[in-house]
Amino acid sequence: MQIPIDVIPERAGHLEVVEIPACDRRTLPGVVSQRACLLYGARWMLAAIRDAVHLIHGPVGCAYYSGTVRKKNYRVFSTALGEKEIVFGAGQKLEDAIREAVSLRPRSSAVLVYTTCAVGLIGEDVEAICKRASASLGLPVVPVNCPGFGGVSQGKGHDVAAAALLEHFIGRAPAGPPLENSVNILGEFDVQGDLKEIEQLLQRLGLNIICAVSGRATVENMARAHRAGLNIVHCGRTGRWLAQKMEERFGIPWRKVSFFGLAETAAALQAIAAFFNRPREAAWVEKEAETARQRALSYLRRLAGRRVALFFGASRMDSMARAFGELGMEVVLCGSQFGCREDYTESRRCLGRGTLMIDDAHQRELEEFLHRYRPDLLVGGTRERFMAHKMGIPFLVFPQETSPYAGFNGFVNLAREVAALVGAPVWRLGNSGFSRKEGEEMVVKHVRYMERGINENERSSL
Amino acid sequence: MQLKEIPVTGIPYDQIKIEKVPAAPEYCERPAELIPSANRAVVINPNRTCMPLGAMWAVLGVRKAIPFVQGAQGCTTYVRYTFCRIFKEPAVIATASFHEDAAVFGGRRNLVEGIRNLVVRYWPELIGVVTTCSSEIIGDDMVSFIKMARANLRKEIGPEKADRIPIVLVNTPSFAGSHVEGYDRASRAFVETLATTRGEPNGKVNIIPGLFYPGDIREIKHLLRHMGVEAIVLFDISDTLDAPLEPPMSVPYYPPGGTAVGEIRDMANSLATFALQPHAGQAGARYLERKYGVRAVVGPPPVGVQGTDAFLKALREITGKPIPESLLQERGRLVDSLADTLHHTMMKKVAVMGDPDIVLGVTRFVLEMGMEPVALAGGTASKTFVHDVEAILAEAGYEGEPPLIINGGDLFEFEEYLKKQPRLDLIIGNSRAVDISRELQVPLVRVGFPIYDRFGYQKRPIVGYRGGEMLLAEIVNSMLDYQYPDDRTQQL
Repeated sequence: MQIPIDVIPERAGHLEVVEIPACDRRTLPGVVSQRACLLYGARWMLAAIRDAVHLIHGPVGCAYYSGTVRKKNYRVFSTALGEKEIVFGAGQKLEDAIREAVSLRPRSSAVLVYTTCAVGLIGEDVEAICKRASASLGLPVVPVNCPGFGGVSQGKGHDVAAAALLEHFIGRAPAGPPLENSVNILGEFDVQGDLKEIEQLLQRLGLNIICAVSGRATVENMARAHRAGLNIVHCGRTGRWLAQKMEERFGIPWRKVSFFGLAETAAALQAIAAFFNRPREAAWVEKEAETARQRALSYLRRLAGRRVALFFGASRMDSMARAFGELGMEVVLCGSQFGCREDYTESRRCLGRGTLMIDDAHQRELEEFLHRYRPDLLVGGTRERFMAHKMGIPFLVFPQETSPYAGFNGFVNLAREVAALVGAPVWRLGNSGFSRKEGEEMVVKHVRYMERGINENERSSL
Repeated sequence: MQLKEIPVTGIPYDQIKIEKVPAAPEYCERPAELIPSANRAVVINPNRTCMPLGAMWAVLGVRKAIPFVQGAQGCTTYVRYTFCRIFKEPAVIATASFHEDAAVFGGRRNLVEGIRNLVVRYWPELIGVVTTCSSEIIGDDMVSFIKMARANLRKEIGPEKADRIPIVLVNTPSFAGSHVEGYDRASRAFVETLATTRGEPNGKVNIIPGLFYPGDIREIKHLLRHMGVEAIVLFDISDTLDAPLEPPMSVPYYPPGGTAVGEIRDMANSLATFALQPHAGQAGARYLERKYGVRAVVGPPPVGVQGTDAFLKALREITGKPIPESLLQERGRLVDSLADTLHHTMMKKVAVMGDPDIVLGVTRFVLEMGMEPVALAGGTASKTFVHDVEAILAEAGYEGEPPLIINGGDLFEFEEYLKKQPRLDLIIGNSRAVDISRELQVPLVRVGFPIYDRFGYQKRPIVGYRGGEMLLAEIVNSMLDYQYPDDRTQQL
């Protein structure tokens, strides 16, 4: 089958209709990629650790942007490097900054020092400085080596952060017998209350969450994480590696589950209940799923047969694709900024052949796609949102902005919000209006890559 | 007013406040010597961001222009995210996608290949190359890289098409300044690269607005129109970052508007250049003055009565056109509003934070309202800021307690100082002050960059007389909302 949109030849393998797209490769420069950097990925994982000082070692901009993760504002500390430090070295400033940060926030239980591009390039021995500071302050000072240019995307940043967590935080408390009916959730980021939904469900099974990496993690509860009976992996990309390592090291078994969509949530709860040998406690699950389906029914009616395109972070592709399937929508695109082979394989298995998959789609490819397919909904991050709006296509921000999508209640929220987006009157208003002379002529004027025609381009401009 | 639970989404308030140490009941005293940021190595919640953002902002104000960021992907992603959140508009910014190899071998391949890919995919009318920390530290020779990129482009698409796309280089090593300076450098880089004199005066004036929002630029154009003055607005984001939704759109999508390349070339033939924000745009105005003798009028920001007066007077002086009755009436309406609300504003304690130019403009305006500034925090350090603030206070005949002037400090310092104040009625600043406002239980009026947690502020002017009226209304109503949360008891 042919790729239905205009693609620059170098990108050909990254778009697939039948196979798994090429992934985990370097981004083409200049194509307006939607990817982010190593620091971004590391912050995504580590921001939620509440009792640690987060110190961004680099120029002030990196700290400024690191203050917001998943639409929550965090207090960040920074060394705010200037020209002087770039030329003469920033080691002394880092040492001072660590000491001051701890004295200004005396109840902190750790310091996380994030390195940035600038620090990576001037070649400071951050590790040694952290070690020294740790000895003199008497609390862990952990270097997170995440200069933005490392790796091909933010995905590597998740890995760096996971490694730091494993090495410095998880299971640091003395060993002991497993805490009864206790689980960890790995790769759950507590966007807009997702974690609360999941926690309520697990509590109904009689389970407790020791720590959620990294939606509600503290230094203290991560230290006890090795005493859980089971690790629940929610986001595979960020949780799977950690789960494997914890199994090796502490012998904790793990399950990859998803709490998006009714069937997935029910299956997840059944599997977890079975693991803890508490099938009786899970008797309510099916009923609850059915209740939620009834609650969502009026929305589902409005969504049946609509087409949706998904483009966001890697690991939620397949579970969200299933959830949208349950909404009665057809998934016409499934793409990710930094998916790995495993993510795409899972999604392909779930979607079958014929669905377009794009790895690391850039702005122009998404625009082309929206023009050709005119899906009823595009799902992605804030950066793609307004582009879709300009083309008159409804857009759902995911990770979400308003209410939790996880669990049974989350599914109802998702159904309601998608129905609201798709049915909003604005899309009719945008598309009709007054007829304009140029508007009539200009239905869709494409500038094909191969034509390379700047004149074409001029004609097509509004 | 204690918010325990956010009613709509069911998120407990403590989860939104994440890890802020509350002021009460378990607020812990900080070591006093570490509160002023000048005494610290560590910066806590900076009130400024990096240079490339300012340069990207500028490039997005040029017609069909795309910024190309010579650095790692995050430098672009974070800024795009920031712009999208503020303007609610797509922001197309290309990245050179630095990975480890670029850090080791330099960014030449990334630039040459990147420019080529950008051109064949998007066919922009101008490319603004914006450097970052990493490209500056590894010492990329950008001038020769751009030459190579051009040569490569000529080979591939033919010299005629290749040479029609100007490439403007803006050097913005993030560690050497803030976004304000990034914009400033861009203003200079654009006129330096593009402006040429043809000896024929065009009778226009140049306006470099600085980091003002689309609504502000529209208001400035309104003033110019009523004065009957033709102008070239450099970095005109009024349409590019506030575009209409009217599908079907062509691919690739470009927003309407923006400063045309031809207009920038023509800037050397103008009567004068107004840099409305002294810290953001002065460099371009000064360059035109030195090189082509185009007179530079730097500041003050046209905020409030006197700020706008100064702008219009300078326009009158340069163009010889009188200030029309219509604008005098607008002025009169603003002054009338000041009279109508003075009992709410007089002697109220206010703290202002944000970019230095915004703080300067707003401070002058709140002094016109009879408010008493407690703290004035400019996020970007500047040689002139303290002096300017003192001059404004002196000019207004301010007799209250002298305010704390923070020149380039952080939000921690600002907040800790405000906590110690016996009284504070209002904070004026950007969205970064939300936490402080909630904690101190003081209303916040949102002004300046960035505002990402409310809708419509990017379209609502604060400049000009009409903008002044809107800002005044916002200030008064915010205080009323806090003082009289029950509307039934309140009559203006």
